[in-house]
Amino acid sequence: MLQTSLQSSDAASESVWGAVRRDVGTFDERLNDGGFVRNHWRYLNDQFEAFGAETLREHAASIEQTVRENGITVHAESPDGQIDRPWQLSGVPYLIHADEWHGIETGLMRRTRLLEAVLHDLLGAQNLIREGVIPGELIWANPRFHRSYTDLDAERQKLHVTATDLVRDAKGQWRITGDRTRAPSGLGYLLENRIVTSRVLAQTIRGCNTKRLANFFAALREHLKSLAETQRENPRIAILTPPSGSYREFEDTYLARYLGVTLIQGSDLAVRGGRLYLKTLGGLEPIQVLWRHVSDRQCDPLELESSSTEGVTGLLRCVRNRGVEVVNSVGSVLAETPGLMPYLDAANRFFFGDDLTLQSVKSYWCGDPQHLSHVIANLSSLVIGSAMAVDSERAIDGSLLTATEQEQLVSRLRTTPGQFVAHERLHFASTPVWSEGQILSRKAVLRNFQLLTGDEVRVLPGALCRVGQDELELLRSPVSGRMTQDCWVTGDQPVDQHASLLADHETKITLRRGGDELPSRVAEHLFWLGRYAERAECIARVLRITLQRVSGEDNWESFEEVRRLIYALASMGQIEPGFAVSSFVENLPHLERSLPASLLDREQPRGLLRTMKSMLHNANAVRDRLSVDAYRIIQRAYQELVQPALSGRATGTLSAGEAIERAGTLIVDLLAFSGVTHEGFVRTHAWQFLELGRRIERATQTCDWLKTILCPPTEEPGPTCEALLEITDSLMTYRSRYLSLVQLAPVVDLVVTDEINPRSVRFQLERIASLMDQLPGIDGGAGLGAIQRIVVSLRYHVTVADPHELCRPGDEGALEQLADLVDLVVQELPKLSEAISARYLIHTTTQRLTGTGR
Amino acid sequence: MTQSSAGPVRYRVRHQTDYRYSSNVAVCQNQLRMQPISRGSLTCHWSDLEITPPPTSWEQHTDYFGNQVHTFSIEQAHRSLLVCVESEVSVAPCSVSETVSSAAWELITSANSKPQPLLDEYRFASPRIPTASHFADYARISLLPGRGIVDAVFDLTRRIRDEFKYDATATNVDTTTDQALKLKAGVCQDFAHVQIACLRSMGLAARYVSGYLRTVPPEGGERLVGADESHAWLEVFVGSAIGWLGFDPTNGCLAGTDHIPICLGRDYDDVSPMRGVVLGGGKNTLKVSVDVEEVTQSSSPKEQSPTGR
Repeated sequence: MLQTSLQSSDAASESVWGAVRRDVGTFDERLNDGGFVRNHWRYLNDQFEAFGAETLREHAASIEQTVRENGITVHAESPDGQIDRPWQLSGVPYLIHADEWHGIETGLMRRTRLLEAVLHDLLGAQNLIREGVIPGELIWANPRFHRSYTDLDAERQKLHVTATDLVRDAKGQWRITGDRTRAPSGLGYLLENRIVTSRVLAQTIRGCNTKRLANFFAALREHLKSLAETQRENPRIAILTPPSGSYREFEDTYLARYLGVTLIQGSDLAVRGGRLYLKTLGGLEPIQVLWRHVSDRQCDPLELESSSTEGVTGLLRCVRNRGVEVVNSVGSVLAETPGLMPYLDAANRFFFGDDLTLQSVKSYWCGDPQHLSHVIANLSSLVIGSAMAVDSERAIDGSLLTATEQEQLVSRLRTTPGQFVAHERLHFASTPVWSEGQILSRKAVLRNFQLLTGDEVRVLPGALCRVGQDELELLRSPVSGRMTQDCWVTGDQPVDQHASLLADHETKITLRRGGDELPSRVAEHLFWLGRYAERAECIARVLRITLQRVSGEDNWESFEEVRRLIYALASMGQIEPGFAVSSFVENLPHLERSLPASLLDREQPRGLLRTMKSMLHNANAVRDRLSVDAYRIIQRAYQELVQPALSGRATGTLSAGEAIERAGTLIVDLLAFSGVTHEGFVRTHAWQFLELGRRIERATQTCDWLKTILCPPTEEPGPTCEALLEITDSLMTYRSRYLSLVQLAPVVDLVVTDEINPRSVRFQLERIASLMDQLPGIDGGAGLGAIQRIVVSLRYHVTVADPHELCRPGDEGALEQLADLVDLVVQELPKLSEAISARYLIHTTTQRLTGTGR
Repeated sequence: MTQSSAGPVRYRVRHQTDYRYSSNVAVCQNQLRMQPISRGSLTCHWSDLEITPPPTSWEQHTDYFGNQVHTFSIEQAHRSLLVCVESEVSVAPCSVSETVSSAAWELITSANSKPQPLLDEYRFASPRIPTASHFADYARISLLPGRGIVDAVFDLTRRIRDEFKYDATATNVDTTTDQALKLKAGVCQDFAHVQIACLRSMGLAARYVSGYLRTVPPEGGERLVGADESHAWLEVFVGSAIGWLGFDPTNGCLAGTDHIPICLGRDYDDVSPMRGVVLGGGKNTLKVSVDVEEVTQSSSPKEQSPTGR
């Protein structure tokens, strides 16, 4: 493409804008045709110039760090399959002046109002088809039009949150390229873009008099609340997100937390008596408003897609009963049918007698013979896609086709013309972005968001702006695909600084002590989060202590306690089991090298890295239940563990010193997580399950250590005892009690039977017993249930054990009684864990579809 | 076959669906499309629905195609589910015979100036019934240029009866219409799907009808296949003078007083009599029985059902 610099070469070398090239024939957002900075860009232009490249680089680094720390990720396709990669946000915002915005806003309002009317008509009387405004084929032959959508409550508002894709063409005209009326994605990312950007450009964003977004989100929350038919003062609002690992995961978690609503999956829901409920540990809790982010046909396996597991059986029935309000209503997908685009102007005249003010990109539905011949004659200037369903990733750019491909396409167009819509290929406007360490020019598209409240349409004053090298890349990539920008609607007047989501003075909320509302699925993730956090800490402790001894002593092989620590590590699955057998050791790589490497070993399923990954996975799944700080600690702990080894080491492995340092950092991070959960978590069932996981894991690990380190016969127990005290973090307590005299019995007491040492086995069992008492209705009926039997029996055995007896060596010199006791605990704890799962965590029954055959 | 009597025929229809499960079902949610309503040639005198065990909750509504739909759930443990619909209906005889002169089929292949839902809508493919050139090719042998629509469609109906083998083992409930055409075998559902696909591929409007067939053949008449079971056939829009006319490709005849229509839709999926989702239940067995009995005197339902009439 022909490029030309509009800056003088001298200035270019100094200016941060120097690298920006202007494409001829496209609209430039920053520069006018004369090459001068547009008025509304001037402030930002000068500000960035004043910052200089160094500051802009710092901004970019700061954004990158925030994105990483907040765990803002997107699902992306890669050669290895689905991966999460960090969100990309450019440090340069996209600017729209308030005067221009006013026109866009009005246009989007009209468009949204029209789509609501179109949807009501298509799911109702279908006058648009009867009167020939819209071809019937687009709707009647549309596989997305499930007829059940029509017998839901016809009068109710159908669209609530919609999105519109908008671009500016070469002449500077705004054009709508598509509507999203189902469950538009991008709103969460847009919000996060604003939060991250305004942290870096706090002064600048105010200096530009940028309109705030908070009011929109406050209105959204109010609107969702207002939809409740019952319990209107404080209804339960839930976001229905697809099962874990979907592309919506980050966004939905984020929105749920920001708006203060419950995040749920289909498996959390149940329909009883024609009403929608959340399955919780304490029973069924009604849901009044469901903001669904699953597709329409996935909503109800009974009446729609029978194989669906994303929705809930009987949802449509609840809707018919007005037992729940679904946002956007089931069936709203029909309004985004791409084939409708060429007919929306006519539809607007049909309903409102006037024209839409914001034009769609010129489009042609091939089911119309005249349009079809136009499309075939002008293929190279058109983009062709599905008329029935939004599927932009498969859109075909006619100009890129070979002659054979063109022929094939024409043949497809002639066979099933009604399936295709074509639209004019536009040259998107370009805007400056920060990329590759400098400011460059990129093509931009906007996704705008609207909220319908009754007859009012509220347009979010901003947009999710995506930027890319060329139009096709932007067209094909999903909303979350590429680099993005925060979009500022700037003005000449300071904006009202009001609005925060926390303030809500309108109604008095009935005070509650909640907890029963915990979905079983969430409880399960919290339980495992607790277990993995504890396991990681245990591993890090043993690794650190072993590394310290191995790297500190010249001939550590002769020290019994080091051999036992290595045996413990092998038994925990951290290193090759061969290390625990002295005759094998010679054949293995030297421990000084392999032990540091084990920190980052991806192969060991029970290794530290995999344990941390599992912890992160569970934390991600319940992110809306964790405080921002708690989540950041987990993210940081993981990032600090996996960061590249210090420079200068070609092998990429860690030195012993680095490994010790990393294990130490991890321990501190995990203690911080433990602290923040202890102090920041309300004592609900959520906390109880986290704590339960932690206690069961700690008891298991401590017993393992007792077995591997303390029980085998030994002539000189001092050093092994000290090693055990160190990994159980009890050395300091021991010394304060017994000074430096190390004997078995006090050590066993401190680590096993001492009820006030938070690291002792007994302490864990006492905690487990008390936690189980707080969980809802164990087993019921007379006698002890399975869970209680295990807890009571373990507690009894540990409580009555005499530390002196436990330390009496057997015939072979091993501590047999201690071994028996810890064996019992180690055997019973997995049973306890299973019993808890069976009672609280697993949905044992499966759903099946039945039919009558024929 | 000719319509034997000039007046409407009155029937008592009993349709029983019996599910047994090998282990407890914790919850089931079901949707029924089994109850007749008065429309077209059918008059419903009364209809009873009985569900055992009694539903925890239930509602009824009318779907897009005008069918009566019952939705219910049973929310306590159960090992069996019995749904029994008993109705008394009258079927009016068909207003025309296959020899009636009618407009050339080509004149009816497109909408008038004002396209109508539930009429022109039936010209298009539906989830179970595609439109394609191989269906059109099969149809063209009957739909000769200028041929009257009733005559042409009746010929197609007869050809399917003659060329397709009635074989319940050849297909199952999920057999596609393409497969059924290839196999040239199947049951009433497959035959109706194939004929509808042929007609829609030619631009005609055709809809799927589910219902019953009378059990006892009229005197001297041959025994009809599909008796004592649910039956399926199709209706074709043959122009505004006659309107919708029923054709039964399984028996190669027009749908008359032997055919008792219950539900209308684009294909089987729109009218499947019962669908449900169960939690638990293990293996299940299903027994369906249909009794169609001609009655001469009106009678009344035996008892009040949970859903009333």
